[in-house]
Amino acid sequence: MSPEILEALREVQLPLLAVLLFLGAAAKVMPGSESTGLAVLVSQGWRRPVTLATCVLEAVAAVALLTVTGPLGDVARILTALLFLVSVVVLSVVRRRDPEAGCGCFGGLSREPIGWRTLTRASLLAVAAAATVGLAPIGWAVVSAPTPTHGVVLGAELLLLAWLSPELREMLTRASSTEPCALREVSPRRTLRRLRRSDVWRANAGVMLGGEPEDTWRHGCWRFLRYDGMRHGRHVDVVYAVRLDGPRRTGVRSVLVDRESGTVVATSGAVATLDFQGTS
Amino acid sequence: MPVMTYDGWDRRRFTTALLGPEAVPEPTPVHHRVARGVVVDATSYMLCLATPQGEERFLYDRNTVFWRGGEIRPTELRPGDDAVVRCSHEGRLLAEQVWAQTARVTGVIVEREGESLLIDPGHGRPRLTVVLPYRASGRISVRHPRLEPGYLFDAVGVRRGGEVWASRPVTTQPPHPLDATPRRPPVHEYSTTVEGIATWYDPAWGRSAHLDPRAQTPGAAYPALDRAGHEGRCDRRTPCLPVPLLSTGATLGIRNDRTRETAVVPVIDCAAADSWFCDLCPTCGPGAAGRIASLTMISFVALGGRLEAGCFNATMTVATREE
Repeated sequence: MSPEILEALREVQLPLLAVLLFLGAAAKVMPGSESTGLAVLVSQGWRRPVTLATCVLEAVAAVALLTVTGPLGDVARILTALLFLVSVVVLSVVRRRDPEAGCGCFGGLSREPIGWRTLTRASLLAVAAAATVGLAPIGWAVVSAPTPTHGVVLGAELLLLAWLSPELREMLTRASSTEPCALREVSPRRTLRRLRRSDVWRANAGVMLGGEPEDTWRHGCWRFLRYDGMRHGRHVDVVYAVRLDGPRRTGVRSVLVDRESGTVVATSGAVATLDFQGTS
Repeated sequence: MPVMTYDGWDRRRFTTALLGPEAVPEPTPVHHRVARGVVVDATSYMLCLATPQGEERFLYDRNTVFWRGGEIRPTELRPGDDAVVRCSHEGRLLAEQVWAQTARVTGVIVEREGESLLIDPGHGRPRLTVVLPYRASGRISVRHPRLEPGYLFDAVGVRRGGEVWASRPVTTQPPHPLDATPRRPPVHEYSTTVEGIATWYDPAWGRSAHLDPRAQTPGAAYPALDRAGHEGRCDRRTPCLPVPLLSTGATLGIRNDRTRETAVVPVIDCAAADSWFCDLCPTCGPGAAGRIASLTMISFVALGGRLEAGCFNATMTVATREE
C-alpha cells in the first residue's frame, strides 16, 4: 500500500468516526434504547442514566475528533480507541449474560442479538481510532479539503461497515414494509397538508370561518377535521374526511352540516351519501 | 347521560355523513340485566341497592353468587359497598351474581414497599396502591414472579379505603420489563375482525356508583387510540394485535366468544395499560393473545364477563370500510 493511500486511510477515519459517534449518540437519546448494550448490566433504575452517559461520552469524543489536534487531540483519539475497546469487552460480557440482548450501539435500531459482526465492527473502529493518533490535521480539515483518494478509501470502508452492521438491515425492513393504512401512525400535519392541497378545500374556501380545525378524529384509514363555517347567513360545520393513503385527488371529501338542524346541506369530493354503501 | 357521549355522538354523526352509516353503528344500550349502585341493605333473601333510578331490590335464589375478594354470604355485604349485579335471564328482580367493592389494578410497578406496590396505570390516571395480603400473595406471585419496578402487574381485588387489596391475578406477567417489550412485527394483512381478549376497568374508581354518571357508562377504553384526536395524554404503545387506529366516538362490535353475546360499544377513553400487555386470558382456555378493548365494568358484565376473572376471549369488529 502506497504511503499516500495509507495517509488518506488514516485521515478519513477522523470524520467517519465522528459521524458514527454522533449517530450513535443521537440514536441513544431516542426512546427504545433501554435494555440493550451496557444498560443490560445495571439495575432497572440505572439504565436510562447509563445510556445517557454513554451518549454524552460519544458526543464529546465526536466533537474532539473533529476539532482538536496536537497533544490534546492525541489524547482524544486514544480515548476514542479505548472507548471502542471497552465496548468490545462490554459487548462480550453482555452477550454472555443475556444472549438475546441487542448491542444498543445505535439505540433502538440495534435490537438484533450481539453477534460476531457487531464485535468485529467495534474492534475495527477501535483500530481505526488508534490509527489516527499522531495525525496532524483535525477531522474538520479532512472534510473541507477532500481528495479523490479520500473518497475511494471512504467508500470501501463504508461498504465494509455496512456489511458488518445489522442496523442497516433493520432500517431496510422498517422502510420497505408498509403497514395497512388503518394501522399506520400518520401525523396530523401531513393530513392537513393533504387537505389544503385538495380541490375540495378550495371549493369550500368561501364558507370557512376559521383556519384551525375545531375537532379532529380518526377512523381507520380516514382522518376527519371539523371547521366552523357560515353559509347563507347560517352557521354550518364544515367536516372533511381525508384518506391517509391512496390517490391524492380522490382522497378528500367534505360535508356541510347545518348546526341547528343537523341536516347535510352540501357534499363534495367522491361523495358519501347512502349510495356510497355498495361502492368504495 | 354518560360522559363524553355528546362529543362521541357528534363525531359519529359526521362520520356517518361522510362514510355511510355502516362505518359507525349506533351503540347498543346497556343490557337491562346489569345494575350498579351502592348497597343500602342486604339480608339473607334480598339486596337493596341505591342506583340512579332510585332504590332497587333484588332477590336471590340458591345459585346466586356473591363476591368480595372471594365468595361471601349475602349478609356479609355491607351498606355503602359499591355493588354490580347481573340479573337472571328471567327478569331484573332475581340476582344471578353480585360483586361488591371490586377493583382492578392494571399497570406498571413503580415502587415496592414490603407488601404494597405502587402501580402506574398510565394515561395520566392517578397511581394506585395495591396491598398483597398474605392470603393472596402466593397466588399472585405464581403469575407475577417479578414484583419489581418496571414490570407489569394486573390483578383484581377489593377496594378498602384508598387502597386495593389484591385477591387474584388476572394475567401472567410478561417476563421482561415494560421498556424491553418487543416491537410488533410489521403487519401486511389487515382484517376488520380481530380476535383477542377483552378486559375491564372502572371509570368511576369505585366512588359513589349511584351518583357518578361514569359508573354507569357503557363503552370501552381502546388500546390503539389516535393521539391527535385525544385530549390529554395517552401514553399507549403499539398494541401487539393489528387493531385499527380510532378516536373516541368510534364504535366497536364486541362478541364474547364463550357466551356468544354481542354488543356495540362506543370508544370513550384511552387504554394505555392494555396496550402494554400481549397476554392470554388465563381462565378462558385457548384463544388469541393481545388485548382488543378494556370495557367499562357495566359493559363487561353486560357481555357476560365475570369481573373476578378479569377477561374473556372476544372478537372485535370495526367497520372501517377499507376494502
